[in-house]
Amino acid sequence: MLPSADILANGALWSVATIAAYLVARALYRRVHHWALSPLIVAPAILVAAALATQVGYAPYIAGTHWLMLALGPATVAFALPIYEHRATIRRLWPVLLVGVVVGSGIAMLSAWGLALAFGLSDSLRLSLLPRSMSMPFALIVAEDVGGVPDLTAVFVVLTAVVGVAVGEILLKWLPLTSSLARGSLFGMGAHGAGVAKANEIGGEEGSIAGLVMVLSGVVNVLAAPLIVLLIR
Amino acid sequence: MNRISAFHRNSRVAQVALLAAVWFVGNLISRGLGLPFPGAIVGLGLMLALLLSGWVKPTAVRRGAKFLIGEMLLFFVPAVLAVLDHAEWLSITGLKLFAAVLLGTLMVMLGTAIAVDLSYRWWVRHAAVR
Repeated sequence: MLPSADILANGALWSVATIAAYLVARALYRRVHHWALSPLIVAPAILVAAALATQVGYAPYIAGTHWLMLALGPATVAFALPIYEHRATIRRLWPVLLVGVVVGSGIAMLSAWGLALAFGLSDSLRLSLLPRSMSMPFALIVAEDVGGVPDLTAVFVVLTAVVGVAVGEILLKWLPLTSSLARGSLFGMGAHGAGVAKANEIGGEEGSIAGLVMVLSGVVNVLAAPLIVLLIR
Repeated sequence: MNRISAFHRNSRVAQVALLAAVWFVGNLISRGLGLPFPGAIVGLGLMLALLLSGWVKPTAVRRGAKFLIGEMLLFFVPAVLAVLDHAEWLSITGLKLFAAVLLGTLMVMLGTAIAVDLSYRWWVRHAAVR
């Protein structure tokens, strides 16, 4: 069945609105550098307001804008570049990085599982919460693998990023961390993309480590997902 | 040949196209071999192999990669609108979800930072002393 002209026009309209909301949010954050005005919050907020105002639900919205998400595939491939560029660091510090990624990912999944059970959240919410500490493209892959709802995971990943930057900043003030490696891992593991940006503000080394830990944990989790599925079934 | 590579080095569009082509090949491999990983991850491994082998120079993908990673929010923001279907999150469920994310993230950050700090001190004492 071919999509009708109406659906195509609707898709084009919401695609333009999405790109516009993103550009506005990005421009605003460049002017007013405050966490509450992060594009992670502002871009979805603009679109939610527009959707509510025009009484458009998620189904017609995502039908028209889903094509934008295709770019997450090539973006995942692009993560090969930071791994390549930091290959010397990986070769040198791989035991430490491995500890960070394994401990961090383990706590991420166990805490999501345990807290969801403790709060009596539904099965689908619990499974969708599991990959919330990963960078978005990896999280969406793992959500699908473990039987969560990728769209819900997307919301939790964004929430984790926003919350994580604030929590990380507080933790950094009173945790006696001696190495830039630990400071970078904290942000890369706990708040993925937004954490990497924050770590870069603290220092160049922290930023590179955060980026590396984020990418490595994403890859490790996606590769481990088939095993995780066996464990939770 | 040189002119083509100079064009490619400066063209973000051509670099994004190259990364997309690797993604596409990754998808073919993933499906063809019935791997339990999606094409994007196979593509990431393939791209890494191309870089490590020297077949693709880092300058041939750097601009494209920076663009795709830097503007990633645009590519996933549509999925975040899933909140539209969850008006029930305006109730106690939303608070629980927020608490789960907040407490979980606190644990992840504490655990990761402490584990890395301790293992780094260990590494400095053992591996680095040579």
